[in-house]
This record gives sequence, C-alpha cells and structure tokens, in this order.
Amino acid sequence: MTAVTETAGGGILPGLRRLVATQEAVLLLALVVLVIVVGTINPRFVSERNVQSVLLGNAYIAVAAIGMSMVIVSGNIDISVGSLIGVLATLSGSLAVSGVPIILCWLIPLVVGAMVTGFMGLLVAYLRIPAIVVSLGMLSILKGGLISITGGDWITDLPEGYHLAQMRPFDIPMPIYFMVFLTIGAAIWMRYSVTGRSIYAVGGNAEAARLSGISRERTIVKVFVIHGVFVGIASVLFATQLSIIQSTVPPNLELTIITASVVGGVSILGGVGTVIGSTFAAVLLAAIGSALIFVNLSPYWLRAVQGILILVTVLADILRRRRMSRRR
Amino acid sequence: MLKPVALATGSLLLTSAVALAQDRWDGADDLPVNPLACDGAAAAMEPTPYNGGQPTGAPDLSGQQITIVDVPKLVGIGYFAATTLGMQQAAEELGNVDVSTDGPTEANIDDQITVIDNYITQGVNAVLYAANDPVAIAPVLRTALERGIHVVGYDADAEPDAREWFINQAQFNGIAKAMIDSIVAEIGEDGSFAIVTSTFTTPNQARWIAEMQAYAAQCYPALEWLETVEAQEDNILSFNQANTLINKYGDDLQGLLGMTSVATPASAEAVTQAGLCGEVAVVGLATPNAMAPYVNDGCVESVVLWNPVDLGYAAVHVTRALVDGDLEPGDTSVEAGRLGTLQIINGSEVLLGAPFIYTADNINDFDF
Repeated sequence: MTAVTETAGGGILPGLRRLVATQEAVLLLALVVLVIVVGTINPRFVSERNVQSVLLGNAYIAVAAIGMSMVIVSGNIDISVGSLIGVLATLSGSLAVSGVPIILCWLIPLVVGAMVTGFMGLLVAYLRIPAIVVSLGMLSILKGGLISITGGDWITDLPEGYHLAQMRPFDIPMPIYFMVFLTIGAAIWMRYSVTGRSIYAVGGNAEAARLSGISRERTIVKVFVIHGVFVGIASVLFATQLSIIQSTVPPNLELTIITASVVGGVSILGGVGTVIGSTFAAVLLAAIGSALIFVNLSPYWLRAVQGILILVTVLADILRRRRMSRRR
Repeated sequence: MLKPVALATGSLLLTSAVALAQDRWDGADDLPVNPLACDGAAAAMEPTPYNGGQPTGAPDLSGQQITIVDVPKLVGIGYFAATTLGMQQAAEELGNVDVSTDGPTEANIDDQITVIDNYITQGVNAVLYAANDPVAIAPVLRTALERGIHVVGYDADAEPDAREWFINQAQFNGIAKAMIDSIVAEIGEDGSFAIVTSTFTTPNQARWIAEMQAYAAQCYPALEWLETVEAQEDNILSFNQANTLINKYGDDLQGLLGMTSVATPASAEAVTQAGLCGEVAVVGLATPNAMAPYVNDGCVESVVLWNPVDLGYAAVHVTRALVDGDLEPGDTSVEAGRLGTLQIINGSEVLLGAPFIYTADNINDFDF
C-alpha cells in the first residue's frame, strides 16, 4: 500500500499530494461530493435554509470537539464530556430561571466547566491516573448527580433574551459564528502559541518534550482547563437552542464528540490532529444525517457510516505513522 | 490515496441504495392491529378471563369507611401530584374513603417496596401503586393480598396475579385514533404529514405508529404519510430532524406528528423557529409543561396524552367498587363517578377511556 501511494503521488505534483493527504482536505472533499450528489438528487438539500440547518445541527458538537481534540492531542481523553454538558446546561438554565443576570448564566458554565475538567487534569497530570479512568469516574458522578438533583424535570419558563443559540445576527444562527470563529482561533493558537505547540509535544513524545523543557504536568492541566471552557460554551449553545432545557443529555453525546475529533484526523494515540479537522468532521456528520433523509435512506445508515469513517480514519492514521517511521 | 477513495465511495454508497417499499409506515411494528371505529364506538373485545389475584380473607367493609394508601413511583413530581389530586377528589366525593399518598422521593423500586411493606405492617384496607418495576414489586403486593389487603395498580402495572385490578390509562389504538383525529382536524382528510419518533424499534412508539396507520387507512384513506424519521430521545437531534423534514418537503409538509415527549416539543420548536406556525401543524404525545409555551403561543393546537387527575380519580373509585362488591372478576364494566362507565379489558384492566387532548383552554391547569 505504501509503495503504491508513493508512486502515485511522488514527483508529479508533490504539493497537491501533500494537500490531499491531510485529513482536512479529505473531509472537505467528502463534503463536496456529498453536497453535489445529494444536491443533484434533491436540489432542496442545497437550499440556503437547509445549508444553515446542517451547519447549525452539529455546531455545539463542533465546539465541544475543539476542546476534546486538544485533550486527545495531548495523549488523553475525556469520556465525561456528555454528562458535563448536561450538568452545565441545567446549571445555566436554573440560574436563568432564578433571575441571575443573563450574561452570568452564559459565563458561569464556562468557569464551572473549567474547574471540573481542571480537577480531572490535576488527577491525570500529577497522580498519573489514566484519563479514561478519571473521566469514567467523573461521568458517573455527573450523571448520577444530575438525575438526583433535577429528578428528570425539565426547565421551562426561561427568561426573554436568554436564548443565545436562537439569535441570528445578519440572519445567520449564532452557533455557526461560534463554531467558525472558535475553530479558527483555536487552530491558530494550537499551531503558533508556545502552549499550543507543547500540547503536540507532550502528546507525541512525552520524554522528548520533557528534555526540551516542557512541563508535561502543567501542559496537561492547561489543556483540561481550556477543554472545560469549550465544554462550557457548547453547553450554553445546547441549553439555549430550544425553549426548554431537557435535564438529561442526548444518548452517547460523548461518543459523537469523540467521533468528530477522531474522524477529523486527531490521532487517538496523541500528538497529531487539528481542530479544523474535527469541525469539518462534525459538519460532515450533520450533512450525512440530513442527506439520509433527503435521499430516503434509513437513519440506521448514519451509525454505519460513522463507524466506517472512524475505522477508515484510524486505519489511515496507523498507515501514515508506519510510513513516517519507515522514513526515519 | 486510500482515504479519499474510501470516503468518496462511502458517500456514493449513501445515494446508490434504494429505499425499500414498505407495507407499513416506517417505525411501525409487525404485530396485529386493532383500529377503533371512526366514530369512536368501543371496539368489540374478545372477553379474556379474569387473570388478576385475590386477597385472602379480606374483611367485608361494604359501605364502611376504608383507608387507602397510594404508593406512586415517586413523590414530589407534577405527574403524581396530579394523580394524588384526582384521588382526593374521588375520596371527597365518596365520603367514606380516606386516601393518603406516600412514596419514595426517587423512582427507586427498593424504596418503593419498603414503603409498601411499612403500610402492610401498619394495616390499611387497600394499596394503590404505580410500579417502578413490574416484577420486583410483585412479591410485596402478593404479601398484601395474603394479609387481606386489596391491591389496585395504575399508571405502571405489576405482574397481573400480584394485584386485583389495574387502571390502564390508554390503549395503543385509542392513542392512535386521538393522534390521527387531531392532525386531520388541522390539515384536513387529504393532508400530508411526517412522523418524528424515537427509534423504529422502540416498542410503544412502534405500536402506536402501526395502530395510527391502520386507523388512518380505515377512516381517512386520502391522508398522506410522507416519512418517519428517528430522533432517539435527543432533543437537539429531534429539532434537527424536524428542520430537515421542513426543508425537504417545503409546502408539501402540512403536519408533524411527535411520538415522544422529547420529539413533540422539539418539532414545535423547529416549526416556531422556521416561522411556520399555522402552516405546519404539530400534534404529539407530550407532557403539558413541555408543550404549554407552544400551545399558549398558538403554534400547537392539541397535545395527546391521558389525564393523570382522572387516572387517580378512577383508581379510588375502582377500589371503592371492589371493596363494596360492585366489581367482581368477570365483570365487563365498572362505574367511576364523573367518568361514567369504564370498560374492562384484558381480563383485569379498567380502561380509563379515550385519551385526553390538552389545548389552550386547559393546558395551564396542569403542572407536570
């Protein structure tokens, strides 16, 4: 396989080949193909309204996947993220109903989110407990706590002006702005800032990172704190999308978020990936979900396609790593 | 170059398969259906022999004061506050019934068993329950029967032999008729609609959809079903799916039927945010609290469910009739005060009647 790839791409158009080889380009290509094919079958798929629906559909997933991607790049994972979104959304809504100024209802979840994930980061970094174990514990605490506190009741009667995600500056839904600007900002920060680059170093080769003077512990705590802020933003978008807050979380929300990261090209082994990829992946998943309805296919395909995307991406990641190590 | 090819193939695969023609609407099960008559006449029922339990040595308290304890799944939520209210109304009306509600603060079967056990020890004449687990609650209910205590269930049943009667709040064909009648009232007999459900294999939803189709085929043959989409029990996904249906069908979509208490408000939200209130009707199963904003806005006209106040009211009337000897195994109906005559179905179940339609006139009277 490696030999074929080398022959196909080598020499002729190396620049183009490198571009196409990035996961971001692959996802964009898949998205374009999907839009052309489904748009041809049913032109309403590419109507302005449906394009907005698709971009809006997974916007909060994309925002959460930014933080998740950073965590995974650092060589960790957080499987409590779905429950945390539920807790923070409920917190935000409860504050709003009890008359707390709306701006605080939007900001407090960010702070609390950063505290919760920061605490997990401390356990992971200094006590060296694997992140999957720490976040599994946190998942149980949050999920159990949420059900005990709310009793499954929904939050209604939210105040006027609270519904951030329903605002439409320049007739474009607010979550789309969050998705686009946070993705661009985070991508630049990860690529050019010292801390951003140290996340790759810690996740890629912790020993080399240590030798070059990067503190593994401090980097991991920072990553978790930043992740918590993104989870907070995602939870506010989640809470304000509808007029009612359901005090339970969508089933498998954490899996959807992790899927967006992994399909976006973030290596589950750490050290590789960008948030642009994870956002493209989140949009692609929303587009596939919408396309299935437009071409009258069973939604069961969505799960199958998600599974195929994950396997293909991980396989490609492993092949790429093998090729790189062979070059060395 | 493995990835682009594989991904592109994946995308094409999506569009190349052809949706299979289905006899039933998507999301319906394959079980036999029993649609109600279009005019609402009670369906002819094959009599099922009585299959409930019997108390041993229950004292004859006919016409005398009795003490009933009600143990719902949990206390402190609006739904069971409504059943309690109905029970108190019935007790007041009857004058010779003392009913109190006591239950766990969480829907926990172990706590519920403990509460029932305590009342058996204290001594009451009858126990009402809404079971957190049909199997796990059965032994303690059988103990009550053995001690001569009458046992009647409502809302959520136990194994039939562990109680005497169960008040069934709604049958599948009754809900189906109410749903279809409500949507037809808004979109007309030849209107077109789509369904938002949880998953195609969720048992209750699949039953309702099968019965809806059977009833629609019989009573409104021109009604057009467009498609059914899945939305799990996920409110944002429900909202997205409803949006996609609106975008896909445009003016051809006249109604949305929500099959879950999550899908219905999310569909109403999608219609509201799309500015299509009055053009796309939303009817569905949901709780009044979740739907009140949309009903009060005028975007939703009818919400289908049962009335928990009536459910509690019926439970006390049935218990009184049982103690007085007015309800015996083999009976086909029972009198229940303001609700009139209630039909007996499935051997030992009392059917509450047609589902309740929540509208702008009454939805604010409920809090659950």
